[in-house]
Amino acid sequence: MKSSPIGLLVAVALGIFPAQSWAQAKAGGKVTVAGKAAATKDSEGVIDADASGSAAAGSDAAAAEGAPAAGDTAGEAGEEGETPTGSGLEDICKIDPAACPNLDMDKEAARPLKEQIFAVQQAYALRVRRFELQAGWSQSLNDQFVSHPTPNLALNYYITNVLAIGINGQYYAPFNLDKDFNAQVRRAARVAVPLTEYQWGAALNFTYVPAYGKFAGFGDFIFHYDAYVVGGVGAMSVRPIPVIDPDNRNFEYQTKLAFNAGIGLRIFFNRWFAAVLEVRDYVFNDKLESLTYSRIPGPGPNGAANPNTWYGETSLTNNVQAQLGAAIFIPFSFNYRLPK
Amino acid sequence: MGEGRGMTTTKQKTTKRLVSALAAALALFAFTERAEAQQILLTGPLAGAPAVRKLRWHRKGRFEVAPAISFTLLDEYQRTILMGARLNYNFTDWLSFGAWGAFGAIKIPTHLSEQIQEVNASRRQFDPTSMYRQRQLTAVNLGPDFEKQLGSMDWVVAPQLTAVPFRGKLALFQSIYLDTDLYFFGGPAFVGVTERKNCEECIDSFEMASRVAIAPTFGLGFTFYINKWSALGFEWRGLPFSWNTSGFDTAGGGKDKKFPDNKITNDDRQFNFNQMLTVSYNIYLPFQYKVSE
Repeated sequence: MKSSPIGLLVAVALGIFPAQSWAQAKAGGKVTVAGKAAATKDSEGVIDADASGSAAAGSDAAAAEGAPAAGDTAGEAGEEGETPTGSGLEDICKIDPAACPNLDMDKEAARPLKEQIFAVQQAYALRVRRFELQAGWSQSLNDQFVSHPTPNLALNYYITNVLAIGINGQYYAPFNLDKDFNAQVRRAARVAVPLTEYQWGAALNFTYVPAYGKFAGFGDFIFHYDAYVVGGVGAMSVRPIPVIDPDNRNFEYQTKLAFNAGIGLRIFFNRWFAAVLEVRDYVFNDKLESLTYSRIPGPGPNGAANPNTWYGETSLTNNVQAQLGAAIFIPFSFNYRLPK
Repeated sequence: MGEGRGMTTTKQKTTKRLVSALAAALALFAFTERAEAQQILLTGPLAGAPAVRKLRWHRKGRFEVAPAISFTLLDEYQRTILMGARLNYNFTDWLSFGAWGAFGAIKIPTHLSEQIQEVNASRRQFDPTSMYRQRQLTAVNLGPDFEKQLGSMDWVVAPQLTAVPFRGKLALFQSIYLDTDLYFFGGPAFVGVTERKNCEECIDSFEMASRVAIAPTFGLGFTFYINKWSALGFEWRGLPFSWNTSGFDTAGGGKDKKFPDNKITNDDRQFNFNQMLTVSYNIYLPFQYKVSE
């Protein structure tokens, strides 16, 4: 009974001794791989007594970045990479020569690691069964005559991780801008170009996310992004801006069938908040103002005030919008199906 | 008097309170900043380690030769397709210096120009020699062929500095993996422009003249590396400067010179935020890249 505390102390000492030997780089002697990593990477010269534990944590972090980290090597080497020169090991070798580790560390270090490294590991933000609320500001890209900036709202639900169904809407009415350029052309060339302004737009859309990746910014921080294609069908409320005969013509908004297709880029700041950059083309059949006008006054059958004389040809119109906005994914958190 | 003094005292008190509150707020800001600036001393094998290991340095120490084709955007009268190339030397993986040069190979009038010419031609067919009433008002602005009086971008040379702050990779359909980077560039541009020649008596005077415009140029682009020595590039470029794209007399008269003066002068050059999209095929020399630790 008297010797049992001493035995327990020896057992505890033996238990903790290997951990200490892993972390310490012996001067002039062979060092463990973890020890090497710590010695080379720590510019402050700090040697962490819990290096093997840190290495394991580090390996997770590094693996998440898609690159094999020194921590991986350290973790593996730490399991069987002890050098048989420490006094504790000598004791073990004396007590039980069969249990004495006899490894050639150079050979072990050169052994190829067969750990599976995925090119892109666990997607940073899963989308499946989450709602995405998008809000942003759009600017028309292709209309040099009238610009159509608009706020834009969208709500998507991801049926799978790469496919979503959703709706979006824009409200253009107060923001249409008839550019000075139109007046200059009319004045200089005596040629009028039919102009159109928009009131609102709404659509039912499908979104597909074929690409995702990550960027290292300034070699320091990493952010994740994905790219998507989107397409749908909806409506746009539009009307001509009267330029040919503004004294008589006052157009009402008309709702047109509109198709849309586009591409977008989402940059994640965290797992539920992202910046969105999107370019989308809304295509609709536009009824333009008539380039001719009636000289007959009044609302008669061919009169200048008769709305039937106001419209001219129809034209397939593209409204290409570039949107900058933000996306919020709800619920904020999610669980991965597999641990890695 | 007493009331005035009282008011002054109240104002002084208010000012003192405001100054105190401001000082306190500043002190708080200063305190927060100091607290945020504390460096976390990382220990263990990842201490001081880079964010990315084994990074493929596609650019560092390599020349980039990139044949490129550029398409102008939002043109009012004429679109230009520029053929050219970009030549860069990458000092580091994130900084390079070089130049982009291109010439306006293809010029396509817009639908507006076609419409104007259609109307112009119909006006002239009545009497092509004399000043017919229908084209009296446009005599200074519209020559026999409107499309021939349009301003054009003939060539561009732009020495530029490129910064590559973002490096990354892209998974396409979970089967194609590409290294990518996002870069920003800027510098001066020298643009060879042909536009309508200045004139005092401008009716039936539709000669063209060339000049070199100097403008800032800047933009951003994506590079998608296909293999060790080549990549696809997509970039957007802004090239803002003033020029007379239509050959119209639009300014120079009136109080603020914003009314036509029946002359073609420098005042008729309108500020245009010229933009273009470029697609390039980048070749890197030497063919082998380096890899970070």
